[in-house]
Formats: sequence, structure tokens, C-alpha cells
Amino acid sequence: MRYVDEFRDAGLARALASRIASLVEPGRRRKLMEVCGGHTHTIYRYAIDELLPAEIELVHGPGCPVCVIPMGRVDDAIAIAGRDGVTLACFGDMMRVPGSAGSLQEASAAGADVRVVYSPLDALRIAREEPGREVVFFAIGFETTAPSTALTLRRARAEGVANFSCFCNHVLIEPPLRALLDSPDLDLDGLIGPGHVATIIGSDAFGFVAAEYGRPLVVSGFEPLDLLRSIEMAMLQIAEGRCAVENQYGRVVAGPGNAAALAVIDEVFAPRPTFEWRGLGFIDSSALGLADDYADLDAERRFPLAGARVADPRECQCGEVLTGAIKPWECRVFGTACTPEHAIGTCMVSPEGACAAYYNYGRHTRQREAVG
Amino acid sequence: MTDRARERAGAEVCLTCGDVALPLRVVSLDADRGLARCAGADCHEETVEIALVGPVAVGEELLVHAGTAIARVGADR
Repeated sequence: MRYVDEFRDAGLARALASRIASLVEPGRRRKLMEVCGGHTHTIYRYAIDELLPAEIELVHGPGCPVCVIPMGRVDDAIAIAGRDGVTLACFGDMMRVPGSAGSLQEASAAGADVRVVYSPLDALRIAREEPGREVVFFAIGFETTAPSTALTLRRARAEGVANFSCFCNHVLIEPPLRALLDSPDLDLDGLIGPGHVATIIGSDAFGFVAAEYGRPLVVSGFEPLDLLRSIEMAMLQIAEGRCAVENQYGRVVAGPGNAAALAVIDEVFAPRPTFEWRGLGFIDSSALGLADDYADLDAERRFPLAGARVADPRECQCGEVLTGAIKPWECRVFGTACTPEHAIGTCMVSPEGACAAYYNYGRHTRQREAVG
Repeated sequence: MTDRARERAGAEVCLTCGDVALPLRVVSLDADRGLARCAGADCHEETVEIALVGPVAVGEELLVHAGTAIARVGADR
């Protein structure tokens, strides 16, 4: 397949790996954070980390929208789904995310009408086809997904679909990156930037990482060769003592982003004063709610919600995994009490979560053996 | 990696949650509604919102995320 097969060529991967190896200083450890969960998944699916020299360590960042959603918001979604006459439509990964008293999957088994959709448009179609039900779309995701939700809300308004609303949990990439980079314990030499978020906001939007925090960032695509080339570009900057934002994913990402997408985000959403992130706590202006013009389509204004803050289970160390402080297998419940089948923390739920990526690709045993 | 691990890892990827976008080819247009039918390499078809990428033509390749085309796939910008 065009744009896919040519980015999975094993010979080219080996050539890139050897160029990367030539850029490391023997014995000098370099830490690169891949911000996006999609990158984490590609790294483990294609064993990219095993192609890299021992000096390069990849640290997994907070860019998995499922992993960062706090328990209180899951509880609110379950409360909406439990109301008479309500259908909650959500993306597949959200079904198994634990709230304080179970998941949406368990709520569904107990009789709530929860349906998995692939897109917000699918949720709107359900509302159109079943006018007797209140259909609520459980919106999650970074700037990549927000325009899709926004366009659907605009379409719902235009078509007069009155039984449709949105429980909005869209989040923004810059505030958590700043929170991470502001951390006094930060130990990072460079970042691999999220390619699909950059499709919307543009690679220029990451300029602050280089200008204010002095770290190189390379916006990367999601195929194995994309990631290897991005790692090479970041290591080249480090080797040459440069610090800039570079765009490896030029085949889809433009410097200024997608103006139409940014305009519809501005029209439909408004920044929330603050929002809770799992592992990072409350971060100001880090999430989107519906703008006042779209208040009639806002599930939070249509249904009374508890909006309670719920602390993570004490044994869960997702927060430390999300900030790169510990590796997934160092969590005290990894692979024992917490598995993809019975997840305690969100990082084990989504395949893009660092814990699930480690677990599903059998890394936990290898890593423990290496240490033991 | 065991077969079971590979199966589990590949089977449950949620394209939206993973910030994944797929290159799909436009097969027909519903210009009045701003929608296109697009096909993937595995022959699956889906309805795609095209408001963010402007006018598109049959045969063009789009990067699709959560049912919305977020970019045209093409030469470096």
C-alpha cells in the first residue's frame, strides 16, 4: 500500500539504525521522549527500540488520550449512560477504562445502552435513526480528534438533531508538555512530536519546546521508518549541538497546520479554566469544553453530573509511567494485579498505553530478566 | 513475542484513541453534504467528512482520523 509499505522496508530500517548508532557518544546516555501513544505502540510492535544502540533510551509520554482521562470523568460518563432513555456512544478503548465503581463495559453488561462508534458521525447517525433516545457522544482525544467532534456538532445543529449532545473531554497537547518540561526532575535530551496532532496545529506550534526549553523536537510519522528517521534527526541535532523543531512528517504536516480545523475548533469549543490529567494533576487551560454558542448540545449542561474528583487506586502508578519517571514493568502491580483483561490503571487499557504496549508484546519478562 | 501476545496487541487497537490516521482513497463524493466514500487497502469503505481538506476528487488519497479527513497525503510541504 502506498505511503505504508515503503515506510516498513527492513533494509532501510537497518541502514537508518546504523546511522543512528554512528551519532551516539559511547557510554553517554540520551533520553528521547515519544509524546504520542501511537508512537509507543509502533515502537513495540516493530521492536524499534531493539534496533537502537544501548545509549538511547526511549521514554513514553502522556500522549494517549485514554490514559490521561481521570476516573471522575469516567464516573460521569457511566452516570450519563445509566439514565433512562439515554444512549452513550464512545470509542472502543473507553469501554474498559476503570471508573471508581466499574467500567462502561460493566455498565453495559448491567443494562446501560453503551455503543462503540468509530467516529462522532456514527454517533450522530444513531441519534438521527433513533429520535426517541437521547444520544450522548463521549468525546475524547487531542487536537487530532477535536475537529471531528466539532464538525459533527456543527452538522447536528444544521440538521436540527435535537436528541444529540456531547460529553466533551478533548484535551490540548501544549499545556501537559509544558508541565512536563517545567518539572525540576526532567531528564530528557529531546522529544519525538506527535505527527497527527501536528497535522491540525502545525509543526510550528511546537516551537516553544526548542525556544523556551532548549530541547530538540522532531514531528514524526507513525511508520517504523518514520520513527527511525525522526530519532536520527533528533540525535543529529544533539550531536551538532543544535536545538530546533523539525518536521519529519512533511508528507502530511504543514508548518502552520490546518486552518479550517483550527477555525472549527475555535467556533465550537472554549478552553476550560482547568482540567484534571491522570498523573499530572490539574493543568490550567489544558482542555476544551463547548462554547456558549453550543451550550444546547453540551451534555454537561443537559444532564446534572457529580463532577467529583476521584483519586486513583493507591496501588496504581500510572502517573509515574505517564511522566516517564518509571518504566511500566517497574509498577508494583504491572502484569500481576493489573493486566489488559483486568486493568487497574488506564495505561494498561489502551493498546497505545505504555503498560499495555509492554505487556502485549511480551516485554515485561525480558526486561525483568535483564535486570535480574 | 508469542502468537497470543501478537494477536492481542494487533486485535484491539482503537484507531481514534491511538491518534492513528489512515490513508484512504476517495471512491465517490456526496458534495452537497460535504461527505465522501473512501476505501482502504483492505477494501473496507467508510463515509468521511471532507470539510477540512477542501474540494477533493475521486482517486485522491486522504489521511482519515475518526471519520474526518485531516490532510491530503502527498508531496512534502
